[in-house]
This record gives sequence, C-alpha cells and structure tokens, in this order.
Amino acid sequence: MNFKRQFREGLLTKNPVTVQLLGMCSTLAITTSLFNGIGMGLAVTAILTCSNILIAALRNFIPSQIRIAAYITIIAGFVTVVDLLLKAFIPALSQSLGVFIPLIVVNCIILGRAEGFASKNTVLASAVDGICQGIGYTLALVIMCVIRELLGSGTFGGGLLNGGEGIRLIPSQFPAMQMVMPVGGFLTLGFVIAGSQWLMKHLDIKNKKKEAAK
Amino acid sequence: MKTETTAKYVLRLALTLLIITSVVAVALAGVNAITAPKIAQLNAEKTQQAIEAVLPGGFDTEITDFTDDTGLVSKVYAGENGYAFEVTPSGFDNTITMMVGVDLEGKVLGISIVSHTETSGLGAVAAASTAAGEAFRGQFVGKSGSVSVTKDGGDVDALTGATITSRAVCSGVNAALACAGNLG
Repeated sequence: MNFKRQFREGLLTKNPVTVQLLGMCSTLAITTSLFNGIGMGLAVTAILTCSNILIAALRNFIPSQIRIAAYITIIAGFVTVVDLLLKAFIPALSQSLGVFIPLIVVNCIILGRAEGFASKNTVLASAVDGICQGIGYTLALVIMCVIRELLGSGTFGGGLLNGGEGIRLIPSQFPAMQMVMPVGGFLTLGFVIAGSQWLMKHLDIKNKKKEAAK
Repeated sequence: MKTETTAKYVLRLALTLLIITSVVAVALAGVNAITAPKIAQLNAEKTQQAIEAVLPGGFDTEITDFTDDTGLVSKVYAGENGYAFEVTPSGFDNTITMMVGVDLEGKVLGISIVSHTETSGLGAVAAASTAAGEAFRGQFVGKSGSVSVTKDGGDVDALTGATITSRAVCSGVNAALACAGNLG
C-alpha cells in the first residue's frame, strides 16, 4: 500500500467532503465555530479509524449478505462509546455538538469507507485510510468553520480561544448572520469545493510541466 | 454470484450477527458502567449550579405537591427568596431542560438552561455563555404574567434563526410563572 498516496487522496484528490461529497449533513450543520469543527473532525476520525480497523480485521468473518447490518452495529457501538466518553469527560463539546455525535452513526463517510475500503484491504492499510480520510474531513470542516465564523459572527476560534468568545476580527454590527445559517453553509461548501477543484487542477498542470521539463 | 439458501447457511448468518451484536453490547455495557456515575455527577452539579444561578441564596427544600396545568414543570425547589422551577419545554428536536427562578412576587429572577439538543450555532446560543446567550436570557429577568416572542406579539427578542427555541424558552418561563401563581 502506498501511504503517501493514501494521505494525498484523503486530503485532496479523494477528500470525503469536497470530492466524495459524503457526510454533508454534519458538514453543513456544525461548521459554525472552530471548536465544533475540530471536535467533530476528531470524533469522526477516531470512530472512522476504529471501525475501519475492526471491519478490516473481520472482513473474512462477516458474510457479505449481512455485511451492512454488521458494519452498522460496529459503527453504532463506537459512536455510542465516543458519545458516552464525551458526555463524561468533555461535556462542553458534547453540549455544543448535541445531536450530531449520535448522528455520526449514519454519517456516510464511515459506512462508505467500511464498504469501499476496509472490507477489501488489510488492517494496517484500513487504519491509515481511516486516519487520512479523517484528517481530510477535519481539514474541510475547519476551513468551512473559519470562513463561516469570520463572515457570520466576525470572530476566529469561537468556543476555543478567548474564553469561548473567540477573537473578534470584525465589529459585531457588520457580520452577515446568514453565513452561520443553512444558506451560508451551502454557499461556503460550494466555494470550498470549487477551491479544492482549482487546487487539484493547478497541481496537475504543475506536475505535467515538471514532467515535460524532464 | 451463487447465493446459498440452505438452513445451515442461514443459521450461520444469524449466528455471526448474534456474535457481533453480543460483543458490541458487552463493550457498551462496560463503557456505560465507567461513564454513568461520572455523567450523573456532572448532571447533579449542573442542576445545583443552575438553581444557584437563578435563585440567589440557593434552595432549602424541594416541593413535591405543586399544581402544574402545563405539564412542563418537573421539579420545584423553594428557597427564602423564591422558587426555582425545573421545566422541560419542547425545543427544536427534543426537550430543553431549564431552570427558572421566580421571586415571591411572581417575577422572573433569571433563567438557566441545564441541557438541550438545539442546533449548534443557532438555538444552542440560548444556552451559551456568550454575550448573545446572556443577552437573550437576560430579557426574561423581571418579567411576570406571561411572556412571548415579538413575532407572537410579546416583547422577547427571539434568537436569530431560532424562533422555535425562543418560543420553547418562553413556554418554559410561562409554565414556571403559572406554577408559581398556583403556589401563591
């Protein structure tokens, strides 16, 4: 397995949010402050990696007819564990993300990677895939959070820096409230996807030029 | 792909799933056993803090024989300065548990949200310890009789994008005020 390629895929060329368009519900809903984005990203990364490892380990044991039921049971198990741990040890994050933690169960990134990758690859490769896809998801969330928070609330690092208030960059009468509402989520997502497409094309051209120069 | 349909094969499918679900269930029971006391303790602390936040001087007794016509009041605590009502109005996707302090003259002393599952960044602002959250909750202080959001003809400014949550908080406050009225 080519780990470097897996990392590149997770981050950019097969980014779960901007290219595979998976997990849209949580992406649109929670990206309103940096704290939410990082917390959700880490929670999904942890669950994705654990479920990928377990599903890869059991891939020859689970008959294909009942694989979806088995995967969902495993995923739901990990999600509930994370939910309980967050409630007990990081109540602020659990309060802030609310219902979106239990909803990770139906986050299609996790089932998608279980079905598309972990069920056909070794444990190690699946673990790396979980981490890389998780980082890609977190990165996309954080970018969206920073944009929406800046334009919608005029702050940076809400829930995390400056005692939860975030650092104010735009005076409070100017930010466009719509940016933290659903419409802002869709707009930002569109621009982030466009940006990642541009970046991929840009890197492609650069690579081709490099090869041509050789 | 040829699918086997013999009884033995079907049994194997069922057994595999049974094993997986049993293992998951045992693991969850283990995690729950570790986290449940911690979560219960955190909730108890939160309730205590919420009461102290809305009722200066804290509470002495819990009243169990209160009259509640709204069905929203779950607990009533009495202190020397008034009462604290734990009310559970329906929010955007689940009930909101909140504490409402009412003084002996039937005026709201303050409100505090104990737990909720409102939308992050919108309804969740009602419970946040930010300036916007405090401004929203501060509007209720000193109110008596009944309250409602401006959209419904009242004078409470609803949270932007969270009218349902704001209405829920109002209905919680109203339930507490009505219950306080019954207590006399």
